[in-house]
Amino acid sequence: MKRYGEHRFPGKLFVVEGIDGSGKSTQLNLLHQWLRAEGYGTVFSEWNSSPLVRDTTRRGKKKKMLTPASFCLIHATDFADRMEHNIIPLLKAGAVVLCDRYIYTAFARDVSRGMDAGWVRELYAFAVKPTLAFYFRVPLDVAMKRLLNGRNGFKFYEAGMDLELSSDPVESFEIFQGHIIEEYEKMIPEFDLTVVDATLPIEEQQTRMRQLVKAKLAQAKRLRVAP
Amino acid sequence: MRSTYGVVLPDMNLDNLPGKLIVIEGTDGVGRSTQIRLLRPWLEQQGRAVVDTGMTRSKLAGRGIKQAKQGHTLGRVTLNLFYATDFADRLENEIVPALRAGFVVLTDRYTYSMIARAAVRGIEPAWIRNVYRFALVPDAVFYLRIGVDDLIPRVVFSTGFDYWESGMDLHPSEDMYESFRKYQTALLAQFENLVEEYQFKVIDASQDVPVVFEDLREGISDVLAEKSEPSPGVVVPQLPAEAKSDGDSPLAGSNGAGS
Repeated sequence: MKRYGEHRFPGKLFVVEGIDGSGKSTQLNLLHQWLRAEGYGTVFSEWNSSPLVRDTTRRGKKKKMLTPASFCLIHATDFADRMEHNIIPLLKAGAVVLCDRYIYTAFARDVSRGMDAGWVRELYAFAVKPTLAFYFRVPLDVAMKRLLNGRNGFKFYEAGMDLELSSDPVESFEIFQGHIIEEYEKMIPEFDLTVVDATLPIEEQQTRMRQLVKAKLAQAKRLRVAP
Repeated sequence: MRSTYGVVLPDMNLDNLPGKLIVIEGTDGVGRSTQIRLLRPWLEQQGRAVVDTGMTRSKLAGRGIKQAKQGHTLGRVTLNLFYATDFADRLENEIVPALRAGFVVLTDRYTYSMIARAAVRGIEPAWIRNVYRFALVPDAVFYLRIGVDDLIPRVVFSTGFDYWESGMDLHPSEDMYESFRKYQTALLAQFENLVEEYQFKVIDASQDVPVVFEDLREGISDVLAEKSEPSPGVVVPQLPAEAKSDGDSPLAGSNGAGS
């Protein structure tokens, strides 16, 4: 088992992090289009976890059986499956791998649920260190506005309803996301996250992302494949 | 007050858990479940309420793990974390509530088997120990010790060689016998490493079943005779002196069942 650290695989791993409504998925999609147009062998790491783990997670959520501990561990199991069966083989094959959310999501979520911060970090020591991890920083009220326009309602665990912060899902979501932002802020220096101001225009954010990614790919020319 | 191996789960109150947590550890086929089948009625005859539990029996993850092992499709880290999920679910929903209600919890394996197995499969020892740091420290761990030469005939004449218990995921080119011998030798060595670290009480499991049972009864009687520490802040009702000695006597003088 390798520990969290600079991997030596020929591929590159870029991840985006941030709360819902930060616009991180939009940015990752734009990056994906650009990388493909540039001719890089790029794979969007889908969350194709093993059906066995997925069914357990789904059942646990549906029946509200999950405590902070089992929520944390079943998601770590799911992530390990993705790491062992998807991300690592892709990196070995030399792909540019893109992930929408990574271990930092787990750290923010689990610590907000009361899990021990050091323990959770050690739990995920099997994950490879991303080439770059972008954190899309957005004020909570901006994210809330974006979300409330685009959707109706929040899911039970997504809103942290299991923590009984509030009986109103929107209010609970807001309190829970506030904790998550605090955790992200702590992780910026700890994991050297690249902060993107998610209140800037979309194109500006994307330009910055592309510059940073390009610098990392300069040393990886041989990854180029025909478009 | 009870303790864990370093991490306390959210909302887990370690005060006031007057039950006893007794672990039966040992390798595959050593006779753990046979002994638990004997111990349960013996304890119940003494008026002790018993809950028994074991790996992959959680409501949450038990079924998923069993299915995963059928297909041999999960990676090593994934499978270890799946087991940890199962363990956390049983700890929170089964073990702790039973201890709170004063039950004797007899558990067929605990985290130690997982630590030993992971080590044989090249998982980093410090990592797997950290995973299980939230486990409660049991009142006692009885380790059924056996050598591989004594183990083999038992397995051959009971369940036969199993894919996982033979470590076939590690030695796919070999036959089950060779693989079983090699894997179990490595696994037993890992268990030995844990004896001191986790203060196992070692029972010689190469003996006949009734003798092992007798040794276990003796060890468990000692554990049950130890007073549970009253938790700070909780008023413990004072029993009359007579009732107190009544509570202890069946344990000390028991002849047990099935001996």
